[in-house]
Amino acid sequence: MKNTKKIITAVIALLLTIPFSSWSQDSSKKDLILNLSYFMTSNNAIYIMANTKTKIAKKFTPVSGINISLFLDKDSSTNFIGKVTTDKNGLGKAIISPQLKTIWDQSPTHTFKAVSEANSDFEITNAETSITKSKLTIDTLSDGDAKTINVKVESFNGTSWSPVPGVEIKVGVSRLSGAILPAGEEASYTTDSTGKVNAVLKKTALPGDEKGNIILAAKVEDNEQLGNLTAEKTVPWGIAVKADNNFFNQRTLWSTRFRTPLWLLFMAYSIVIGVWGTIIYLVFQIIKLKKMGVTDISSV
Amino acid sequence: MENPTALTTEQITIDLLPQKFGRRGLIWTGLLIVICLIGLFAYYRQLRYGLIVTHMRDYASWGIYISNFVFFVAISLVGSLITAIFRLANIHWATPLTRIAEIIAVSAIVFAALIIVVDMGRPERFLNLVLHGRIQSPIMWDVIVISTYFCISLLLLYMPLLPDLKILLQFKEKSSKWLNKLYRFQGSFWKGTAEQFKISERSITILCVTIIPVAFSIHTVTSWLFATTYRPGWDSTNFGAYFISGAFLVGAGGVVVAMYVFRKYYHLEKYITELHFDKMGKLVVMLSLLYLYFNINEFMTPVFKMKKSEAAHLTDLFTGDFAVMFWSAIIGGLIIPIIVLLFKKGRKPVPMFIIGIMVVVGAWFKRYLIVTPTLLNPFLPMQEVPASYHYYFPSWEEWAIAMGSLAGCLLVITFFARIYPIIPIQETITEQHEKH
Repeated sequence: MKNTKKIITAVIALLLTIPFSSWSQDSSKKDLILNLSYFMTSNNAIYIMANTKTKIAKKFTPVSGINISLFLDKDSSTNFIGKVTTDKNGLGKAIISPQLKTIWDQSPTHTFKAVSEANSDFEITNAETSITKSKLTIDTLSDGDAKTINVKVESFNGTSWSPVPGVEIKVGVSRLSGAILPAGEEASYTTDSTGKVNAVLKKTALPGDEKGNIILAAKVEDNEQLGNLTAEKTVPWGIAVKADNNFFNQRTLWSTRFRTPLWLLFMAYSIVIGVWGTIIYLVFQIIKLKKMGVTDISSV
Repeated sequence: MENPTALTTEQITIDLLPQKFGRRGLIWTGLLIVICLIGLFAYYRQLRYGLIVTHMRDYASWGIYISNFVFFVAISLVGSLITAIFRLANIHWATPLTRIAEIIAVSAIVFAALIIVVDMGRPERFLNLVLHGRIQSPIMWDVIVISTYFCISLLLLYMPLLPDLKILLQFKEKSSKWLNKLYRFQGSFWKGTAEQFKISERSITILCVTIIPVAFSIHTVTSWLFATTYRPGWDSTNFGAYFISGAFLVGAGGVVVAMYVFRKYYHLEKYITELHFDKMGKLVVMLSLLYLYFNINEFMTPVFKMKKSEAAHLTDLFTGDFAVMFWSAIIGGLIIPIIVLLFKKGRKPVPMFIIGIMVVVGAWFKRYLIVTPTLLNPFLPMQEVPASYHYYFPSWEEWAIAMGSLAGCLLVITFFARIYPIIPIQETITEQHEKH
């Protein structure tokens, strides 16, 4: 009897733990790390990049398919920037639309807010980042062979633009991959008290476009106050490279039938004409033999 | 010839005139027709249902048809060897074999062209080669050179036949009405005047000179169909010479088999003598050694290096799925013929006939080994494809069509031997007169 009571008690205790175990399963959802980055290109195109990741086996792994709502300054429908879904790299990008210009112009500093939706693996997560309105400008100075790239960083204080010292900037030539080929030997430069850096372009004989244009670029990356800024300027400092657009018109072994190499045409047709000329000659010889036979018959 | 002094012009003529089929001839012809009909039915199925009836898939996209094509092209080269090269070199003992060699060449090249059309799946698309063909493509060169070789071989068969047609017309009673009509149509103008002989001789010499480079081209171009494709086993600069040496060997083997059969069936022992077998035996030994040399070249250097990309293909051939076929073709089609034919007794008609069959069969399988194992061992590994893509064994339709084409080729030779003298009558008479 005592044993039966014990068993019933154990079963009841087990049943009671089920709701708690369900709850504990809920609490076992992984932590989502949500970051926001601010980007401004050429002082006009602004966008926000949301980045989601989580820690799996002590390694950060991108999380895809997370729906994130983005807001400017406060979490309301009027300040709503947009909704993004992260891709396989855990990234989601939203462009600041012109409708938010009034809010944007109201203050020299802004805070971007992000709220991710909960799903079976992750809870709702919030993130925000603050920036000061700023601009990055490129100017150039060419004195004979000496070519200098002058870059200036300024921030907006509400009434006017003021230089920002101590900002690390990459300065150089924009490559097709999007990376920057450093202008000199240094990988990056730091702005002085006037918010400027002067980088001498030591790379000469760079291939440009058909007119010899190359694109100079300056980039501020992950700055706490300014975010990510990029500026570009096209200058005729490169060597003109004429694109070979004539490739498909060339006579090659892999071209169309109308672009056969002349040497091949000559060889092929010479052989064909030579051999078939001989065959035709021999056919005429047979005709000749036939005529001779017919003549013989008629003469008989 | 065994007893040339005993042979009069009349006897030679009577002996060499085409003979009607006997019982064995009718059975043989009937058998070939049945095989051809089965092949035609299989081709009808292929036309109706498409190439899906074959077992060729994405990887083994060239199978038994292309192996057969290469075999036909190879065996057709014998026409240029026996007829042209021997004639130009003034080798007279081969005169009785010239027509056998030429008819093998013509019928083989016809079926080489047909089997390519069969492999296309959609025969009407052959017209696209004419409409949209690129002269840069080796396939285009192959089309040109095959048609050229066919025309020259046909002329080389026809021109020496003219004097024999006159003889055939003199023996009207020996042939049926429609055959006489055919002979008249083809050669009634041949009067055998000195001037006609002069033109004919000159034309034959021109043909012999022309056919040699064309014959070399036809098989070199066929080898380039493979060698210009970057695949294990085909990526070779040796392929042209390798193919031509193999072609001469299989052609010579084919002639040996044919001369034995015609000798036995038509009782031509006085014309195709043991001397011919002896000389052909020596020729087969020489060609076997030459082909063996190119085989060693073809396999020795890749095996020595054993590049990873080619290792699977070579292993497949030497110790893998194709090992039995490979070693049978090498030993049966090359090594044994060399050993047997080195001895005088081995060059007697019966052993020569057996060796000839071994050479021809070995050569057919050798072509299969050139085509298929390479396609089943691509440079990039096969991934995520159906299991059937990993191996290839021809479907019954493919076998039927391939065997039908071989039977068709033999049928052309059989009908030719029924209609025309298989040994040149006039040339045999002339040589007889020159000797005595």
